[in-house]
Amino acid sequence: MTAGTRARAASLAAAWSLLVASAPAQTAGTLDVGISTVRYDGFLPSGALTVTPALRWERPGGGISARGTYLRFESGHRSLQGDVTGSLFAPRAATRWRGELGAAVGASRYVDFASFWHAVAAARLHLLGRERGAWIAGTAGRTSYGTAPRSVAAGGAGAWLRLAEFTVQLSVNHSHIGDTMYTDLQSSARAEPGPVVLEGTLGARMWSRGGGRGSYGEASAAISVGPRTALMIAGGRYPTDPIRGNVAGRYLTLAVRIRAVTPRHVVFPDRAAAPGASADGGTSLPVARLEVLAERNGPVRIVVHVADATRVELAGDFTDWEPLALTSTGPGVWEAVLPIVSGVHRINVRIDGTAWIVPAGTTRAPDDYGSDVGIFVVP
Amino acid sequence: MHHLLRTTSTSLLGATLLGTAAAAQDPRLERLDPRVRPLVASVIDSARAAGLPTESLVQRALEGATKGAPGELIAAAVRRLVADLGQARNALGPSATPPELAAGAAALRAGASPAVLAKLRRARPQTVTVPLAVLADLVASGVPVDSAAAAVLALATTTRDADLVEFRRAVERDIALGAPPGMAVSTAATAAYGATGAGVQLDAGARQARPSRP
Repeated sequence: MTAGTRARAASLAAAWSLLVASAPAQTAGTLDVGISTVRYDGFLPSGALTVTPALRWERPGGGISARGTYLRFESGHRSLQGDVTGSLFAPRAATRWRGELGAAVGASRYVDFASFWHAVAAARLHLLGRERGAWIAGTAGRTSYGTAPRSVAAGGAGAWLRLAEFTVQLSVNHSHIGDTMYTDLQSSARAEPGPVVLEGTLGARMWSRGGGRGSYGEASAAISVGPRTALMIAGGRYPTDPIRGNVAGRYLTLAVRIRAVTPRHVVFPDRAAAPGASADGGTSLPVARLEVLAERNGPVRIVVHVADATRVELAGDFTDWEPLALTSTGPGVWEAVLPIVSGVHRINVRIDGTAWIVPAGTTRAPDDYGSDVGIFVVP
Repeated sequence: MHHLLRTTSTSLLGATLLGTAAAAQDPRLERLDPRVRPLVASVIDSARAAGLPTESLVQRALEGATKGAPGELIAAAVRRLVADLGQARNALGPSATPPELAAGAAALRAGASPAVLAKLRRARPQTVTVPLAVLADLVASGVPVDSAAAAVLALATTTRDADLVEFRRAVERDIALGAPPGMAVSTAATAAYGATGAGVQLDAGARQARPSRP
């Protein structure tokens, strides 16, 4: 089997997996579509279209991820890459130590001359604390760049610390790939303010023989803009990865991530089809998004965002299910301020007198009447 | 025949009087179809007699009326909620407040067991309304019941209501970013109360958006 065949097979596996993401299991699939500008070391700058299907299957104590990446460069040349990774955690013990076994296989192909494949296995031992932790790891395997496979051996250690909303991490890894050798010292930070996940890395490659040298750094933001949609922006410089065949480069990527349907708890699977499906249910009904702004012991501001409407109403257990017309406070913004007590509440929204729908920003649940209702919580 | 007519008339009169009396207690039920109103009112009266809170029952009936549901569906929904409220009270104890019972009923309907409700009651000295609501909400989002219950139980002892709602939002965000619901709740719980699965990273971050190799 050639590396190109492996690359196609791995990408097809990832794409196929996406199609079955709605199977009744803890599985999630995403599709990233974006544009990048990239300048690989030794190449001219180029724009590229990127398509990345991914699938993650998760069980307590382990999981498997599959990812494929298709790039089409300005030149018309294409790059195809696929990876499957998995990890298995030892059962949680009374001690603070926990073991992890992992494996990764992948292949990539560019035009018809540069093909890679790799297969590695890793073992990690974690020391877990409430706000901090550390690990040591070892990796072994094989990788090939169109020639005889080369051995991979790597070892590393790292530590992480959680500070309020930030998680910072420091790691050192030493790798041998055939006669190539290098050491990476890397730090990363992650913050999760509201609907945004921010991540940054800074690193340096040192004591290198054939693996390149220098510093690198990347930053990214993932912004959840709906129950199934997120914006991703990332950029920076990354080092050569001799195991996977990635050449060092600088890049800036802007992408839209669409999450495939994941299974939801269904209480009445045989209920009748909803006359007014939910806003996040993929129907052609107008999309409304609800924001609940609650202050302790004060009234609750209900904000409904609708792209195009002349009348927006809500009904819920805090209006005695009497339709209440909202006030337009700006383009696409409709509001009401209501006394709503702490607890779990049910709501539906109606736009321009059409069917009652479940606004995004609430949890959809069967309503006992053959339709759906939105659930939200006021603390 | 005469006896049958008399019995039927007496029954209808009784039902009408009962329904009228109950409806009079809560004029909002006047919005229900007159044919189903006595039935719903008698179910609500029975719940009141059993010491269950009736506001959520009235709201469930009004929801059906607003949505134009058939009368028998409205009556069935109210009856089902009475059963859920009763089960929630058994699990949470006689001192449970009406909002706690309503949230408990929602959690039971979502699939949580009465044992989880009882554990939550023992674990949290203050009100359990929001933890129960978050639990129901997580399960409705696709989080396995056991994972949701474990996370909420772990958080409930020390976490404020507002932080629980924030925890719920973090789970929602991570699901939107592509994490399986069970993993999302595990990661958010880890961030909130300590590490259980370090090394697991969600599907966001710089390395995920790098262009592939040339």
